[in-house]
Amino acid sequence: MNLPESLSSLGRHFLNRRNFLHTAGLSGAAIGLTSLLSSDGLLSEDLKTAGGKKPIRPRIDSRNPYAARPSHFEAPAKQVLVIYCPGAVSHIDTFDYKPALARLHGQKPNGLPAVTFEGPSGNIAKPFWKFKPRGESGKMTSDLLPHLGRQVDDFCFFHALSTQTSAHPQGENFFNTGFTMEGFPSFGAWTTYALGTENQELPAFVAINDPRGLARSGKNNFGNGFLPAAFQGTAFNSKSPPNNLGRPRSIPARTDAQTVELLKLLNSRHLKKYPGDADLAGRIASYELAGKMQSSVPQVMDLAKESEATLKAYGVEGGSQLRGHYARNCILARRLLEKGVRVVQLFNGSDPSGGNGITNWDSHTNIAKTHAMQAEIMDQPTAALIADLKQRGLLKQTLVVWATEFGRMPFLQGNGTGRDHNPGAFTCFLAGAGVKKGFSYGESDEFGFKAMVDKTSVYDFNATILHLMGLDHSRLTFYHNGLERRLTNVHGHVVTEVTA
Amino acid sequence: MREKTSLRSPANKMFPASISSTLLMGGITFFFSAFSVLEIHAQETTDPKKVAQKKDGKKIDFKREIAPILEAHCWDCHGEDQQESGLRLDRRANMLRGGDYGLRAVVPGIPNQSYLLDLVNHLDPDLKMPPDEDKIPAKEIAVLTRWIAQGAIWPGQMDVVAATKSSHWSFQPIVRPTIPGDAVANPIDAFLTQQLSAKGLAYSRPADARSLIRRVSFILTGLPPMPNQIAEFEVSYQRNPETTYSALVDRLLASPHFGERWAQHWLDVIRWAETNGSESNMYRKNAWIYRDYLIRSFNQDKPYQQFLTEQIAGDTMGQGDAMGFLVAGPHVPVATVGQEASARRQARADRMDEILQTVGTSTLGVTIGCARCHNHKFDPISITDYYSMSAVFQDIEFGSRFPELAEDHVHQIRGKELYQQISELHGALQKMGPWEENWTGYRELHFPPVESRAVRITFMWNYARIDELEIFGLENPKQNLALASSGTTAFSPKEISVARNESHKINDGMFGTEAWAGKSPPDTKQKPWVQLTFAKPHVVDRLRLSTNRGDFLETDYLLAMNKFNFGPYKVECQGADGKWNVVANTGQLKKLDVKYPTRPKIIQQIQRLIINVSEEGPKSSFVGRLINPSKTFVLNRGSPETPRHEVFAAGLMEISGQLDLPPNSPGKLRRKAFAKWLTGPKHPLTARVAANRLWHHVFGRGIVATPSDFGAAGALPSHPELLDWLASEFKEPTLAPDRKPPSWSMKHLLRLMVLSKAFQQSSQPNEKGLMLDAGSALLWRFPPKRMEAEVIRDSILLSSGVLSSRVGGRSYRIHNVKKRYAQWEVNDNFGPPTWRRMIYQERMRRVDDQMFTAFDFPDCGQIRAKRPVSTTSLQALNLLNSQFVIDQSKRIADRATEMANNDVAQSIDHCFLLLLGRTPDKMERQASRRLADNSDLSMVCRALINSNEFAFLP
Repeated sequence: MNLPESLSSLGRHFLNRRNFLHTAGLSGAAIGLTSLLSSDGLLSEDLKTAGGKKPIRPRIDSRNPYAARPSHFEAPAKQVLVIYCPGAVSHIDTFDYKPALARLHGQKPNGLPAVTFEGPSGNIAKPFWKFKPRGESGKMTSDLLPHLGRQVDDFCFFHALSTQTSAHPQGENFFNTGFTMEGFPSFGAWTTYALGTENQELPAFVAINDPRGLARSGKNNFGNGFLPAAFQGTAFNSKSPPNNLGRPRSIPARTDAQTVELLKLLNSRHLKKYPGDADLAGRIASYELAGKMQSSVPQVMDLAKESEATLKAYGVEGGSQLRGHYARNCILARRLLEKGVRVVQLFNGSDPSGGNGITNWDSHTNIAKTHAMQAEIMDQPTAALIADLKQRGLLKQTLVVWATEFGRMPFLQGNGTGRDHNPGAFTCFLAGAGVKKGFSYGESDEFGFKAMVDKTSVYDFNATILHLMGLDHSRLTFYHNGLERRLTNVHGHVVTEVTA
Repeated sequence: MREKTSLRSPANKMFPASISSTLLMGGITFFFSAFSVLEIHAQETTDPKKVAQKKDGKKIDFKREIAPILEAHCWDCHGEDQQESGLRLDRRANMLRGGDYGLRAVVPGIPNQSYLLDLVNHLDPDLKMPPDEDKIPAKEIAVLTRWIAQGAIWPGQMDVVAATKSSHWSFQPIVRPTIPGDAVANPIDAFLTQQLSAKGLAYSRPADARSLIRRVSFILTGLPPMPNQIAEFEVSYQRNPETTYSALVDRLLASPHFGERWAQHWLDVIRWAETNGSESNMYRKNAWIYRDYLIRSFNQDKPYQQFLTEQIAGDTMGQGDAMGFLVAGPHVPVATVGQEASARRQARADRMDEILQTVGTSTLGVTIGCARCHNHKFDPISITDYYSMSAVFQDIEFGSRFPELAEDHVHQIRGKELYQQISELHGALQKMGPWEENWTGYRELHFPPVESRAVRITFMWNYARIDELEIFGLENPKQNLALASSGTTAFSPKEISVARNESHKINDGMFGTEAWAGKSPPDTKQKPWVQLTFAKPHVVDRLRLSTNRGDFLETDYLLAMNKFNFGPYKVECQGADGKWNVVANTGQLKKLDVKYPTRPKIIQQIQRLIINVSEEGPKSSFVGRLINPSKTFVLNRGSPETPRHEVFAAGLMEISGQLDLPPNSPGKLRRKAFAKWLTGPKHPLTARVAANRLWHHVFGRGIVATPSDFGAAGALPSHPELLDWLASEFKEPTLAPDRKPPSWSMKHLLRLMVLSKAFQQSSQPNEKGLMLDAGSALLWRFPPKRMEAEVIRDSILLSSGVLSSRVGGRSYRIHNVKKRYAQWEVNDNFGPPTWRRMIYQERMRRVDDQMFTAFDFPDCGQIRAKRPVSTTSLQALNLLNSQFVIDQSKRIADRATEMANNDVAQSIDHCFLLLLGRTPDKMERQASRRLADNSDLSMVCRALINSNEFAFLP
């Protein structure tokens, strides 16, 4: 046994391929550039994804994992901004207009569940805010988000989304990584893995966390999972730079520069013993890049040159302190996109134990008050950010994703003041590059309880975002532990109806 | 028994040549199938005579009545030419086996288990057959149903059984290959050089002595050698390289730090961490005893066979701590799943899946998770295999228990010593009245023994909340006499009651949030009290009270944990004569301290010993909870809402997985039997997977480059014969007879590997090697690579001289004590308490340690058979600017200065020696001197810590 003849045809194919590489006279140094990552790829190149498609695995040069890489096909969106609202925004109180709720207010029609996530359910409650038609499209949205309401003609709503879980951490995991379980790469990591980035002096993927802290799934939402750590989101916001960015205060700039000089000398002498070793060269390059980042990140974080008008439009002053912080984060998001950062993920909400009584959109009690508090923080700055991107022409190549992990129930909880989690129907919207404007896709049922028409899974939604970025979700894969893993597992269909 | 029989039937084992369904979970389809399908004749699965006796009504004629139905509705997609979803309905054997979903399409005699009927009756909302068409006419369905009920008689096909045998290499028996060429050499070199010379390559020259000692020290212990060790080695190596090196290897294998290094690799594979993941990412109390078990086991060179068996069935071997293995993965606790019953069932199924992932990937090296929803697409693992394997672990739940520990277990021995000391101190206290001890999670009150019919406790505050009251006596000091199950009744008067906190909750044996509570009625002086009446009198002398002991047993580091929600209390006992006597009043114990001045000191001593017990003795630990196993069913498409037929504990049928157990054996017997199967002499995977893992960590790349995937989607072995030789040598050692290596000795295998010429050659590249084998897979040089986060951190601490050499114990913390639902935050990742090897750093799921996460330290969410190696500027920033590096650079500089007696030039040499194990060359020395003169020596250390030479395995 174990002779090539006794191996499977698959195995023989591998061996032949390897033979080919060995004998084709490819430059050793060129191959040496590939990291362990692509040496895995080498082995599994002949595997296919579910559905029989050939994976498109980016070749990562370990000297520069962030080098810009071509998309799978031409697409208008080159960058993506994800505005993520943890805690579950109530679709029926914001964007999904359900007149039946007013009619059935206080009643409990048949067919609605007796027990939901937090326990016994109460009666139907009409929206806590008035809906009215907005924009030229006449889209019905509520007074809870008036600023965003003014821009509905730019948005493309998904009203028939549903998810797999009614718990936040699993919901966040599912939305942002495609799996309810722990440890899978985030959307931003997949995108960076596929496309690299245009600006090498800034991180390719930035996670701007809420001033109150991380969302419930924490780092999962922007983590690299089993992808190389290079592709995790770098966390910073308008207040706090990335960890360890700056030289310690105890070290003068000149000393710092001299230290790096010595380091260069040490490395260049060491490299002489390993001529052409790409891993060593790559690590040397990473130090040069780090040096550049030390000046480019503080520059991008510096809002001093932003005009009065901009600060005002974003609502930096004049609202709650949290709105001010979030508004600054929104300006930072725009500045990062201007500089070519590939993925910006902006959070509006944290886990449940921050300050201020509420920390995210999870309005189990007193939704009238708690959703209003969240909306005050989110509405104006977010609307200003999207308008600003549009005005600066950035929306032409930037895809904006506004998202939350699930919806809220059309009926109240037993406590009579809050709405429980609703995995059966919720609303998110897209805007910008490649997306229809003033458009709504899919419908939930008359209560907003379950998705009904043109049902859209989270897989479909993610497949569509990747598609708009020029990536085929069924072919963007990474071999891990026996499987060609994808953001969309083995599911997902691109919703072509929403593409412009 | 029917299911049992079918499990053994080869009929489950056929795999389709082509699969096209995209509904299925999983991920890959192949150009080529790794299986060959063969038909064999075997025993009849259904005895036609018996079936004929049971038949209802007229016998159905297959050819006339059934074949036309199948032809009209089924065979287009499930016939000879096409087999959608891997299902064929034109052969009886394939019908019995079913398609990719793994459910049998036809179960002769049992229509309601025949999936075909579900589909044509449209009972499965997600899959209706025929697709996009109306239902088959009811009359035809009725005929099909009757035909199945009659035994699915298909003349001419009754004896045919579909069966397959995988032809994939890793499922074939391990046969010890003949060692090629010169038998004198290390067999490893014989195999490697054979393949090298076939490619026109050869080994590189031997590595220099300094590189060699550094390399082998890193590989075996994860720590660099210190300058004096290098110097000694270099001298001796020059005189006698072989014996010098061999002695070094022996010393390193015997080092207590060997286990620390190799335990870390195993923890990666099973993604072990000390938090749950999920919503509140809670800390898993005392989970670290499993990490210590690993370190001990590697250090003792526990035979791998025993090592696996203990981790799967340690409760039967006095090694309960080893079972932390099974609950290594993340889990979602019931408390955060929500109230919907279906969500809770799903969460349990997910937890079970984590257990199976751990076991399957680490020991078998196959991804069995695919078979959760359907037959594995390219490996011989069926959905029935998956659920049969889950039946093995049905008695395991994520949570804590007091692990079963043998008398000679280190914790047991230490615990005995400590309890003996406590007991002696108790003796000294006996004559000084009652006293109370604080065991963190509960208070324990001791009082003079008294015969009692009942015990009454009156609380002095207006409110008291008790999740459990335990009472102990002299007859059996470990028996809780208060338990309702032993006949004791609890009573507390109505007027002090609190809704949903009834008195029976005080002695129901349940810790946690289900508690008794009482409060004083307004405007009265009545205090909350509760009375426990025994079924018969007992001599009692001790009781325990707690408010929420659930937290105490399961978790840690939460704000406001283990709060006692009760004040001082009075205990009265009712004697045989019916009279009540006060035996203790905790509000007044202080008075006794005045009367007996030695008393408070003794109690203090006891409190200190209690802390020692909780660290070093047996303790409730997160190593899994044992529950009553529930029945196990195949879940259609993985959903707990669609259970199909019942299955019983078994291994993989492809590898003769029958466990020969009665169907409903206790959980521990199932696990024990499974471990026996797993480590059996003929198992083709276990030894290969283990040998390959060891190789992977020695040479940086496995002989199979996908160490946790030996299936058809994984890589093929670069040196298949070498792998099989290693696996054989692992199970039955033939070399080094003078050392008498035991079977399954990991150290024996490692020793052979690092003593090979392949390991001892230089890592420097050459043109020809790079050209022909750029990845160094054939080992024409030793492949260099960036070292892991742990090695970098540990080396820095060792260089500065502050690294603690203490092995084992509670993890050092870099995080805050948090609110229950908050995220963990790093608050000190560089101070003195963290100066231990990084394997002792709390392994937290999805928390960035703000230092080494950037170096591909895993997030412990998914299996990591090997770490990717990233190179990013964030790593550079962390290593240049973190407090950890700045602080350690100073310490290394100070140490070097002291070693050099304040001579600057010499202190620079010492910095190089401490960090790189060598002195600087002229240019380096000059440049370093300039920097040291312009600023200070610590900047030189900072540069050295960041250098490639420091970070790369030489």
